[in-house]
Amino acid sequence: MTDCRFTRAASLGEAVDCLQQAGGEAHLLAGGIALGILMNEKLLEPSWLIDLSRLEDLKGIRLNPDGSLRIGAMTTHREIERSAEIAGAYPMLIEMAREIACGRIKNRGTIGGNICLADPQGDPPVAMIALRATLRAVGPSGPRDIAATAFFTDLYTTALTKDELLHEIQVPAQADHTGAAFGKFSARRAMDYSSTVSAAVRLVRDAVSGRISDIGIGIGGAGLIPIWAQATEAALRDNRPDGDALAAMREALMEEIEPIGDDLYSADYKRHVASVILRRTLERAYARAAAVGGADKP
Amino acid sequence: MTIEISLQVNGVSHKFAVSPTETLVDLLRRRLGLTGTNKDCGMGICGACTVMLDGLPVSSCILLASQADGAAVTTIEAIERDGRLSPVQEAFLRHGASQCGYCTPGFIITASALLAENPHPSRDEIVEALKGNLCRCTGYKRIVEAVESVARQGGPT
Repeated sequence: MTDCRFTRAASLGEAVDCLQQAGGEAHLLAGGIALGILMNEKLLEPSWLIDLSRLEDLKGIRLNPDGSLRIGAMTTHREIERSAEIAGAYPMLIEMAREIACGRIKNRGTIGGNICLADPQGDPPVAMIALRATLRAVGPSGPRDIAATAFFTDLYTTALTKDELLHEIQVPAQADHTGAAFGKFSARRAMDYSSTVSAAVRLVRDAVSGRISDIGIGIGGAGLIPIWAQATEAALRDNRPDGDALAAMREALMEEIEPIGDDLYSADYKRHVASVILRRTLERAYARAAAVGGADKP
Repeated sequence: MTIEISLQVNGVSHKFAVSPTETLVDLLRRRLGLTGTNKDCGMGICGACTVMLDGLPVSSCILLASQADGAAVTTIEAIERDGRLSPVQEAFLRHGASQCGYCTPGFIITASALLAENPHPSRDEIVEALKGNLCRCTGYKRIVEAVESVARQGGPT
């Protein structure tokens, strides 16, 4: 076993300094879930661990007066799942947190760690794509904002440079008549990794016409990265989610996803599941937009 | 390089010099001889290594010992009180909720943490809390029934 350095960062600046010194050879210790798994599987032998646990600036949930939401990168899934502020303003994020692994993992795992792992099966990445969140990174030259839709660049690869870390997630205030939902398919209700396909949908429903005026869709478990389903969004925009629009949605989705078959489920099966999960999640988001905004009001 | 950590294990304070990559489960089993916490999948999936960290269940196989610095760890060895089995342990016996026994400590820790927080969980809440612990012998029916019987009585203590 090679010797591993360990630094418990006392400030964000110190963490960034360490990353810079390490030149890409350090690993950040947040919840440690993926890190622990990769080390046990002998897929990773870290030479320098930078512990972020003492950085209070990376923690916490704040609902701003304008309705936008700030989630520190080190906020645990448990804290999100139990946040009254999030439950009131962003119920889709509660659904998302419920779907993550199980309590034991949610007690330690962080939303920032999950997003930075960029696992295509991950739940938070697709939720943040649908919500059009901004991911604020911090590096040697200060903060840098990256759109969640541009964050996931390749398998387990993000837009972060090797000396940047994720500071916080900023979710914009949602327009009137917005509905959002998170849906996931898995054969077993928990701890089922390979078979999961997920959909996150946020939409604005025109109160008069019932048409979808704005929409965000993220699809998980259907390719090498958490997918921003842009063409699928376009197929639904300015339409009501019925007959023709749903057919166009399905067609667009089939072009945008590239699921990987595994021991349990073929790629074709996952394609089918993705279209079903997306339709169901869309229907829930659409119904919520009516309930929230009141479709009968001007 | 080693890191100095202090932690409480089952109410006793300890100091250790650990390597940055040493896991909590290895520290508990190898250094303290607390072998009731089992090591199985090594991926946080099965729940056999579940311990409480400051009262919350965690997977000790993917938790670095350094992450437990300053925390209180509770293992299966401290669930019984004064040499008597806890109500959850009694219920597992009564309901035949254990067969090979490998997963049992993890289930008992998870159930005990649930009942400490919520003494009267519904069946759905019990199933939800236990969904991340895997058993390959009995199935889950008797396990859920055992926890339900304690929930009806009013908690673990």
